[in-house]
Amino acid sequence: MSTVLLECHDLVKVFPGVRALDGVGLRLTSGTVHALLGENGAGKSTLIKVLTGVHSPDGGGLTWCGEPVHLRSPLEATRTGIGVVHQERNLIPGFSVAENITLQKPPSHRGLVDREAMTAPALACLAELGVDLDPHQPVRELSVAQQQLVETAKALYTESRVLLLDEPTASLSPQETERLFEVIRRLAARGACVVFVSHKLEEVFAVCDTVTVLRDGKSVLEAAPLADHTHDDIVGLMVGRAHAATEMRPRTVDRTATPTLVLDKVSTAGGHRDISLEVRPGEIVGLYGLVGAGRSELVKAVLGLDRITGGEVRVHGRPARISSPRQALHKFGIGYVTENRKEEGVFLEQPIVRNITVTVWKRLARALGFVSAREERDVAQDHVERLGIRVAGLGQNAGELSGGNQQKVSLAKWLAADTRLLVIDEPTVGVDVRTKHAFHELIWDLARDGLPILLISSDLAEMVTLADRIVVMTDHHVRGEVDNDRDYDRMSGRVIRLIHDRADSSADSADAKAVSG
Amino acid sequence: MTTSISPPDTVPEEKAAGHRMPFWVNQRLGLLVLVVALSVLFGVLRPAFLDQRLVLFPLLRDVATLTVVALAQMVALSVGHMNLAVGRMAAFGAMFAGLGYDRLGLPMPAGLLLCLAAGAAIGAVTGWLIARTGVSSFVVTLAMDFALLGLVSLLYSALTEDAAFTTRPSGIDELRSYSLADICAGPVCGSPAVPQIAQFTVLAMVGLGFLYGCTRIGRELLLTGANPAAAELSGIPTGRRVLLAHTLSGLLAALAGFMAAAGTGTFRASIGNDFMLPSFLGAVLGGTLLTGGVVSVLGTLLGTALVGVIRKGLDLLGVGLESLNIYLGCVLLLALSADRIRTVVSYRKVVRET
Repeated sequence: MSTVLLECHDLVKVFPGVRALDGVGLRLTSGTVHALLGENGAGKSTLIKVLTGVHSPDGGGLTWCGEPVHLRSPLEATRTGIGVVHQERNLIPGFSVAENITLQKPPSHRGLVDREAMTAPALACLAELGVDLDPHQPVRELSVAQQQLVETAKALYTESRVLLLDEPTASLSPQETERLFEVIRRLAARGACVVFVSHKLEEVFAVCDTVTVLRDGKSVLEAAPLADHTHDDIVGLMVGRAHAATEMRPRTVDRTATPTLVLDKVSTAGGHRDISLEVRPGEIVGLYGLVGAGRSELVKAVLGLDRITGGEVRVHGRPARISSPRQALHKFGIGYVTENRKEEGVFLEQPIVRNITVTVWKRLARALGFVSAREERDVAQDHVERLGIRVAGLGQNAGELSGGNQQKVSLAKWLAADTRLLVIDEPTVGVDVRTKHAFHELIWDLARDGLPILLISSDLAEMVTLADRIVVMTDHHVRGEVDNDRDYDRMSGRVIRLIHDRADSSADSADAKAVSG
Repeated sequence: MTTSISPPDTVPEEKAAGHRMPFWVNQRLGLLVLVVALSVLFGVLRPAFLDQRLVLFPLLRDVATLTVVALAQMVALSVGHMNLAVGRMAAFGAMFAGLGYDRLGLPMPAGLLLCLAAGAAIGAVTGWLIARTGVSSFVVTLAMDFALLGLVSLLYSALTEDAAFTTRPSGIDELRSYSLADICAGPVCGSPAVPQIAQFTVLAMVGLGFLYGCTRIGRELLLTGANPAAAELSGIPTGRRVLLAHTLSGLLAALAGFMAAAGTGTFRASIGNDFMLPSFLGAVLGGTLLTGGVVSVLGTLLGTALVGVIRKGLDLLGVGLESLNIYLGCVLLLALSADRIRTVVSYRKVVRET
């Protein structure tokens, strides 16, 4: 019944200074959903790039249905029958759904693209997925979840028999995720092999049949039935040792201290109304909400990037009118670790030393603005060691680091600047278990040393682990605040009630829109 | 190691990086080798090429001027912008110098200062427009180019009889024709091949080298170019840095305009007409990234020198103007791909060793 579609053995791929793949085996069988797991830097991305013809391997080989194949380009991979839905969307926003789906092989008539003939095959692909979308609608008008389905339809159109989904659920709501799972199961039932790459083990166990685990460029578990393994087994294999949850050291907050940051009925030009919250020294205040609730936008308004139209912001007890992030940093000592690491957090093509010291040049500068390269390196070196950032050298470009280490660099520049208030936005999205844990400890200890922290996260477990109080926001409004007693079930119940009690109507309409398209 | 800037401060950083490329992948070294090799080749084929007074002196004078033009472009590129109006800003600045000499009878240095001030002012206006409106530098400087083209021609025809200021203050002829041979310390004189006007180029290079290599502002300019959003959130006043970059670009363009005018002896509207393409060529050949964030002051000089040597050499070999451009294009392609080939070869080497 089931045949082996794609098999690889002893794959090796070398980059300068690192063996990204160092003997990886993989066997993808038709009719299965296959989990590809591993921590950041274990080689998942590289493996996907080899399987889709972006990189050619330096050793080992691939076979397709028993025959050796060489994938020299993504186009060849597509023609062979390997499709991929990347983490980043690769759709053309101005093109219609049908145009995007048929992009790689548009139906043509005498060399001209035939737009009418696109509709039927596009509709067929969408129907196979069980999705109802208007093929003529421009992709830019679709929700993230819908765009993802269009990408999947695109892979179907090219008759992919192996479909790689890279972190497909990262930006989906629970309902949307469930719908995607149905699609995945349907594709597997039709004889395809769906490869599911995710950090969320709960989802892996919900949808996958077999599993391959990578660690340090090697496959430590190859195409094993998932049912034979427990959650802890898998984590152990990924991390390479039994994963012991270390206890955080105790931390107390002086509730009588003057709050470092106070928002008093703040309204913004971005649509926030009457937002009030306080952060005290040594306190971690969680700002929880779903994507789109307006949390990052609120912080950006406080930093002076959007207009505050009402209410008052007080920093260190005094009213503060902050006009730019520069002022926020130098006058009020506020640092903001952004959620968009690659776009706003780090300078990918610049050396690590500059990435860390950008906030302290003003302090280091002497006559004529001279900055000593040695002092600069000392500051950077201190923070590289303090945060345990793994680098080949301070002159290395930040873009060459793994995601978790980039995130640490993005945090390091604020610690270097001795900020007196830190806003940390989604610190552990797309970060593996071990790094996530290290981050949690780091944030906890910063607060323990007296730093006030405003933590923005969509990860409720993270909130319950770290925050002292959780402020719940939906739709640019604060819905309420709960004191965290570190009991996940009780907390999630209370938080979700806060979200749904008042946001029922709006959530329903958003949901309806997503379905009808 | 094309991702570094030239001043010596950055060298230890590169050494600290464990797996960086070997030293011979250095773009500037490759350029230097190419410039020297081509000069030797042309010298062997046409010994006249090495004539200090008749060939090398005018060649170096052109290189000196065009290097300043390319530096003007480099500064704009450093913040991820471009300046399509370098040539017209040069003409605009030079016009003020000519006007000062002709109407006000200014001494030479005062005219130069007036010229630089005019260039800086027009650059500042450009930078302010870009930072304020958020319109791309391509569009704004293109518009500025047209506006200045009209304005400069109009003013020349209104203020002069034959569309040029010909009054020459004392000292400007010396600037045009004097070389290091005219500076003697006792019996030892300098080379007659090196024009004195190159002092401006050296000054500009030292200034920019210090700015980008050693100062806070220079680093902030580069980070603004590398990623404006991240720079703003990291507390860099990106608007002010953009303004500064364009001001400096205008100032350097005006300096180049003055040098070109001093070289020909007259101040006219056509100064800077052929500045734009060489400005990009010199900067980009030298390793400055079009996308911003990486500059090379020394590379800009070498890139400009390479283009100058090729032009002069082929000219002496009797290659006609049209075919000269073909050869020039081929050599430039070769130079750029040689760099790429070096990178790929060394990358493979590092990979093998891993």
